[in-house]
Amino acid sequence: MKNEMTLSFVAIEENEALARMAMTCFITPLDPTIEEISEFKTIVSEAVTNAIIHGYECDGKSQVTLHAVIDDNKVSMTISDEGAGIFDIEQAMEPMFTTRPFMERSGMGFTIMESFSDRLSVESVIGRGTVVKFEKTFSPVTETSRMR
Amino acid sequence: MADIEIIDNGILIATLRGELDNHEANRIRTHISSSIFSGQVRSVIWNLEGLGFMDSAGIGLILGRMRDLVPVDGETLILNPSSTMEKIFNFSGLGSNIRRCTVDQAIGEIGGVLHEK
Repeated sequence: MKNEMTLSFVAIEENEALARMAMTCFITPLDPTIEEISEFKTIVSEAVTNAIIHGYECDGKSQVTLHAVIDDNKVSMTISDEGAGIFDIEQAMEPMFTTRPFMERSGMGFTIMESFSDRLSVESVIGRGTVVKFEKTFSPVTETSRMR
Repeated sequence: MADIEIIDNGILIATLRGELDNHEANRIRTHISSSIFSGQVRSVIWNLEGLGFMDSAGIGLILGRMRDLVPVDGETLILNPSSTMEKIFNFSGLGSNIRRCTVDQAIGEIGGVLHEK
């Protein structure tokens, strides 16, 4: 099947749940396994949380935009903000690296996103914003995966 | 949502439900931390059996409380996370804190260690 969507919302923490819920509904027609849904939601949650707290520092007015395309059983998605940008992407993607230790950010966001997606890329310009793109392919449901 | 209970032996049991993200972690952090600093808590059991979702904010929350427990050399056990959560814990080096058991069995494990001391 083919489908496409765009969703924008302001940078407040409450919208992390909105993003997960909306994206879960969007991929439901692919009949994913519980584990696939859960991994997909985690990727979305990490990227959206980064945009809200690092990109915009929860300013409550700037927009985070999600765009997603379903092509057969593959979902391609971008999470964009026009916020602070990432100073050093390579460093930001290292496990346990965080610029916000006092907020108890674990620094595991990118590690999780990379592990749970098939492909992930990050583009960022200081003062202009960040775009995270990822792809995840969902396996067609079989009787065994339904049982899990 | 978090139910927090402190039982004998100074064990705090945090039973989490719903979705643990950055927003929720910020809501419950102070509550759990102040319970630990109330003095009697030596160990924390995180019961995740009823937790529907967790992202890296859960790692931050648990690592932060492990730091709170350092002065008392406290233990941390993570009970029954989903398989996705287990992967996240493994990425973060918390795999050895995971147990597949009941709360009572976890209490027994920590209680035994405390007794030996």
